[in-house]
Amino acid sequence: MAGSSGPEFDHILKLLLIGDSGVGKSSLLLRFTSDTFDDLSPTIGVDFKLKLMTLSGRRLKLTIWDTAGQERFRTLTSSYYRGAQGVILVYDVTRRDTFTDLSEVWLKEVELYSTNPDCIKMLVGNKVDKDAERVVSKQEGIAFARQYGCLFLECSAKTRANVQLCFEELVQKIVDTPSLLADTKGFKKNLLRPEEPYNPQAAPGAGNCTC
Amino acid sequence: MEELSSVHRYAAGALLAIALNQAQLHREQLVPEILADSHDDPSVLDSLEDQGITPWSSEEYGLLHHVFGYLKIDRQAWPGIVRTAASADAKHHIGPFIRILSEENVEVPSDSSLSSTKPSSSVSKNNRSVATLAKAVDAMTISLEEYAASRSEPGQSRSDEDGNFFDESASLKEKRSKSKSGIKAAQRWASMKKPLLDRASSSSDLSYNDRKKNTEKLSVNASSSSSEPEDKEQAERRVLVSQRKVAVLYELLTACVADTPEEKAGKSVLNAGYDARQRVALRLLALWLDVDWKKVAAMELMVAYMAMEAEKEREEAKAAAHVDDDEANKTKWKKWKRGGIIGAAAVTGGALLALTGGLAAPAIAAGLAAVAPALGAVVPAVGGLATAVGSAAGSVAVAASFGAAGAGLAGTKMARRTGGVDEFMFLPIGDNHQQGRLAVGIVISGIVMDTEDYSVPWHGADGELERYALRWESKELIPLTTAIEDWLASSAARELVKAGAMMTVLAGLVAALAWPVALLSAADWIDSKWTIAVDRADKAGKILAKCLLGGSQGNRPVTLIGFSLGARVIFSCLEYLAKKGNNASIVERVVLLGAPLTLDQQKWEKVRKVVAGRFINAYSSNDWILGLVYRSSFITTGLAGIQKVEIPGIENIDVTEVISGHSMYLAKTQEIVDALDLDSFYPIYPSKLQGPPKLDSPR
Repeated sequence: MAGSSGPEFDHILKLLLIGDSGVGKSSLLLRFTSDTFDDLSPTIGVDFKLKLMTLSGRRLKLTIWDTAGQERFRTLTSSYYRGAQGVILVYDVTRRDTFTDLSEVWLKEVELYSTNPDCIKMLVGNKVDKDAERVVSKQEGIAFARQYGCLFLECSAKTRANVQLCFEELVQKIVDTPSLLADTKGFKKNLLRPEEPYNPQAAPGAGNCTC
Repeated sequence: MEELSSVHRYAAGALLAIALNQAQLHREQLVPEILADSHDDPSVLDSLEDQGITPWSSEEYGLLHHVFGYLKIDRQAWPGIVRTAASADAKHHIGPFIRILSEENVEVPSDSSLSSTKPSSSVSKNNRSVATLAKAVDAMTISLEEYAASRSEPGQSRSDEDGNFFDESASLKEKRSKSKSGIKAAQRWASMKKPLLDRASSSSDLSYNDRKKNTEKLSVNASSSSSEPEDKEQAERRVLVSQRKVAVLYELLTACVADTPEEKAGKSVLNAGYDARQRVALRLLALWLDVDWKKVAAMELMVAYMAMEAEKEREEAKAAAHVDDDEANKTKWKKWKRGGIIGAAAVTGGALLALTGGLAAPAIAAGLAAVAPALGAVVPAVGGLATAVGSAAGSVAVAASFGAAGAGLAGTKMARRTGGVDEFMFLPIGDNHQQGRLAVGIVISGIVMDTEDYSVPWHGADGELERYALRWESKELIPLTTAIEDWLASSAARELVKAGAMMTVLAGLVAALAWPVALLSAADWIDSKWTIAVDRADKAGKILAKCLLGGSQGNRPVTLIGFSLGARVIFSCLEYLAKKGNNASIVERVVLLGAPLTLDQQKWEKVRKVVAGRFINAYSSNDWILGLVYRSSFITTGLAGIQKVEIPGIENIDVTEVISGHSMYLAKTQEIVDALDLDSFYPIYPSKLQGPPKLDSPR
């Protein structure tokens, strides 16, 4: 990337967190981005976090959109699927309805609105720390993931178990999918300064997706 | 502002954020939004920030965050909105945000102690007050139109208007008495709303009740064409939705105009008043929401009246600070009662305006305040804020300046020889003065035969602008114009015209070496006068810029229109604003006609940046006087008054067929300006005036 401003990353990726309200999407994200855990109020509309990450020698800039699970914001979520390379479907292992909703509501939305046909889906069962209250077994999760072609992990934002891994696995898979990396090289064009167009020839990094 | 649910307010804030940035993008004229549809790539996130350009939505401009605060959007949601608005695919979010406005949203109080206000009843009440507001806006719009019409036809009898006015007030009274029973409930509700909102936003009890409905909704959204035979219900819904859109715009407008206490406490008060960028964004938003701009203009008036009233109240409170509460309440009640009489008329404010010639503005404000409780505390939002937030001073910079605003501009007279300019003053023109208009127009003539020509060419529709003509340097301009005219009348010129030499001179750029000798000898004579006038124009522009920076226009967005050297005054003003680092906070729109300006790309680009909305260059390729007096620069760099300005973001309109010579601008300017339809966000006129209707855009 020989862009004029010399970005400090090789790829910029868009990830999306979806799932019913209260399953812990925001907590998961908070744990991942700032390694803290807090009692959060429900997300309003959509939240946004940035995380820089280096994976197998590549500097990645993750832009993570954390959507509200509440139904009253459902309409808004639809446009955030656009251009996402990875979608994290979160459910609460202690609430079965959040699990069944994934196939009945959320996966349908992904199919409807996602613009990346190769978009990576990741199924995440959260709150495994509450083992006593668990109602969705790991086997069910695995079966679901297999059926719908998702990655799968169980984690706990509270105990930080598997949280890092969850994002890493997803990102790794995205990075391994060339079609998803095609447009992630930073600035395609300089929107506000058309006279200084982004010049792909000048960028030595152009076209070396498989490096 | 309980007529909108928290979700709707969230969506409103987000839409304003997106509109701000889209308006900014549009200004820089990248891909025309309409055309860039399918083949923009779906990829990522090169936000404006990433390109080193600060989006208007960013906190440092102070255009948005106080609006969020005013709308009581939860702070945790702010970054998401800002980021959404700044992302490259922001325009794809517009649809969903607008769609959510059309969805019913039940505020669910989690706490059973609030059971006295059932959500369902509150929703219908909300809808009711939304409807009342929308009707008030409609009434205001209609009466404004009538007012304008009556103004343009002075023959219409007064008594006619009287009749109208009483009819309307009667029907309004009826409306009022009907909703009177709602007043108490509204007040109770108002006192309750704050804790309720807080609780609602932090509630973890979610509206899960109807999962099936959701999937249905999804499928409807997807197909979006299932027309059921529930026509009546749908029609009702549509009405409600359009009313809600009006309410959204009203809230946003109020929020933009109000100075929130929060902001005051902050380190820098960047946004005192109504910012030009906000107005441009609202214009775009009105377009998205399919709300006629006329309605927004009516809302501007309503907000202004409320602001004035709030200001008055504040001053009264200050004066009567020692008076004990009881008495204060009494006077307030008295005022309301008194207002009740005017109140009925208030909403038909335009009628009242017509009767009194605008002097009633403060009374209308009082009246609006009086109907306010019936409107479910919708209207006094500006003034009400102070009490709601518990801040002592809910002052509104715009309002504070209204009374004096006229004086602010009209009172600006340069002392002799200030800034190298002998004469510089604003002449109020049109009928919109002292009426709480939230937008100012400054028009500048550049060629004048006598002093009347500073204002006469601009007679015409005011639109929603409070207009001023700038009178400047008549001692230089009149001789110059006369010299040009005299020369035109001379036989030598007539010969040349007859020979058809001129007509082609500029069109073909023969110009360079082939100016007829007769022309050049005349030019010498004009030149010296011209040079002085140009110099004065540049200086006058600087003074104008200083006036604007000083806020004498009352912290309101300004539209600048000027022809000939007047255009040069404007350009110089903009250059000065750019130099002072102004960020398009003041100047909303610019129209330059027959501008004696070279096409220095860098200058134009810089100047473009201080204009928030449209920037129009009208040129006539027949304007050979301009080419003559400006021949040296015309030859080297080109001249804005004669040819297109090929700078992104500048609209060009060819007025050659209307303007056959430079002095034609005196007669035709208003006609051209009317044709530009400045009230629309996008240029929608043909790129050539009075030519065959061409559809190619002026870009």
